[in-house]
Amino acid sequence: MSSKILSLILAGVAALCAQDTPLDPHSSVKINLPADSPVSLISANMGESRASARGGAMLLDLHMELTLRNSGPRNIRGVTLLVLAQEVTPGGRASATQTSLDVSPGAVFPMHISVRLLRPLQVAGGPLVEVSLDGVLFDNLYFYGPNRLESRRSLTAWELEAQRDRQHLKSVLAAYGPEGLKRSMLDSLNRQAERPRLDVIVSRGGRSTTSAAGAERTAQFAFLKFPDAPVEALAGSAQIAGSEARAPRVQIRNRSAKPVRYVELGWIVRDRQGREFMAASLPASNPELLLAPGQSDHLLQDSTLKFSRNGAEAIAVDGMTGFISQVEYADGKVWVPNRTSLESAQLLRVLAPSPEEQRLTDLYRKKGLSALMEELKKF
Amino acid sequence: MKHPGGETLALLAGGELGFLDRWFQRRHVSGCESCQREIEAFSDLRSAASELSELPEVGWGRLAAEMRANIRLGLAAGQCVRKEPASHEPRFLPAPRSLVACASLAALLVMALWIQRPLPGRRQAAQQNGIVLEATGNGIGLQEGGQRLILMHPGAKEVTYSVGAQGSMRARYVDAESGYVMINNVYVQ
Repeated sequence: MSSKILSLILAGVAALCAQDTPLDPHSSVKINLPADSPVSLISANMGESRASARGGAMLLDLHMELTLRNSGPRNIRGVTLLVLAQEVTPGGRASATQTSLDVSPGAVFPMHISVRLLRPLQVAGGPLVEVSLDGVLFDNLYFYGPNRLESRRSLTAWELEAQRDRQHLKSVLAAYGPEGLKRSMLDSLNRQAERPRLDVIVSRGGRSTTSAAGAERTAQFAFLKFPDAPVEALAGSAQIAGSEARAPRVQIRNRSAKPVRYVELGWIVRDRQGREFMAASLPASNPELLLAPGQSDHLLQDSTLKFSRNGAEAIAVDGMTGFISQVEYADGKVWVPNRTSLESAQLLRVLAPSPEEQRLTDLYRKKGLSALMEELKKF
Repeated sequence: MKHPGGETLALLAGGELGFLDRWFQRRHVSGCESCQREIEAFSDLRSAASELSELPEVGWGRLAAEMRANIRLGLAAGQCVRKEPASHEPRFLPAPRSLVACASLAALLVMALWIQRPLPGRRQAAQQNGIVLEATGNGIGLQEGGQRLILMHPGAKEVTYSVGAQGSMRARYVDAESGYVMINNVYVQ
């Protein structure tokens, strides 16, 4: 008890004494763009970025704004930057991605980086933060970059979702006119507002709590099947105890004619009241995965997820549903579910909107229907 | 300058302090020679106590009983051989040197047992929680050893959080100024 009081007092003293200093853009941050990068740096503004000492660690509160130029030959659709304070420290690495872009050659565009990072206080000299390019995606799906964070796959999937959702809205406009487009926007805004959300805690390894979660049982996944999915989920289970689910394991089979190198499963949990929540994505754990046509393998993760709502209300998991949400072929092409599949499976009410749908509904809400119609004409 | 208490320095020397406590105390100790000396002393004592505890047949309870018996025996033997004092009043206190020796040994034993005692609360919490990421309406946070630090709070109103079961979290929002979609990822490892 006394040590807790002492810790609290020391924490208070440390907080009062913590040195909180603005970051010097020249010495604190290093921005690495390759010489042949299709984006070039015009300026970097550190804004309210600050560094503060917290015990033996340094907390970097970054609010940077970079101005970049498209030096490439085609329109840019997405950019991912790696933001690194310390490679091995938990909380020392993050990434910032800007997607749903349409930046023509020679045009400049802003990129905000708003994230907190940790690094040890006593580290030899050098910049506190390094920002480097991980990838750029162009409108023809050509990708440039070191791809350390697998941003090629992510940016491509988001671009395919953007094309899918723009096409859907254009079809609605063509078939039902501005009123139909307006109804679609209102439907989407309603779904976004009413979408049930979960607070999720993820830890690697075993259960995060013990007896409080109750007895553990094996629960089977039910699967939603999409007719055009190149991979199908055959069977799967996870260990469930109260509001915790751990060690998911799903058997998959490549039913396409091409080898597959990445599969991701969407994981929905259902509580005892029958409410469904998007819990997490379950990606393939094996980075060397290469699933030949007809071949089977397993998606599995040694992690524990704990679910709650509104900060305290534990969600007792009663059932689980899975669906194939993303597939990358060995040749780099990516598959995502089409709009019809999502609608027919009633997934739209559970899933978050795509980044492009989120952007377009935001545009509609702020600038109105005519601005949205102009935007849809652009590409 | 206020120095950490002996208990805290002992915990720091033994590597038993929690995540944030350790930061705070290391920050102070790195610039305080006095506390550094105390930590070294605790470390030496801990090493010595560890060596003692590795002796195969030492039972502290038995040893203490033997020591008490030996002390009583020594006192009794001393009574037998010493000359009768002029006064016949009984002596209730042992010799000062014996008293000091006993007190020192007792203090050593208590300190050794105290330093070597298990700390179930702290250790179990660290083992159970490990390093975890959490996504809530307030942002993405990192927890370690019961301590929590918010890593991402973009300040945008409509933030969509998504979780990767492999240990990553993503926050997505429409940037109010540029109108572009920003996606930030943080990772457990």
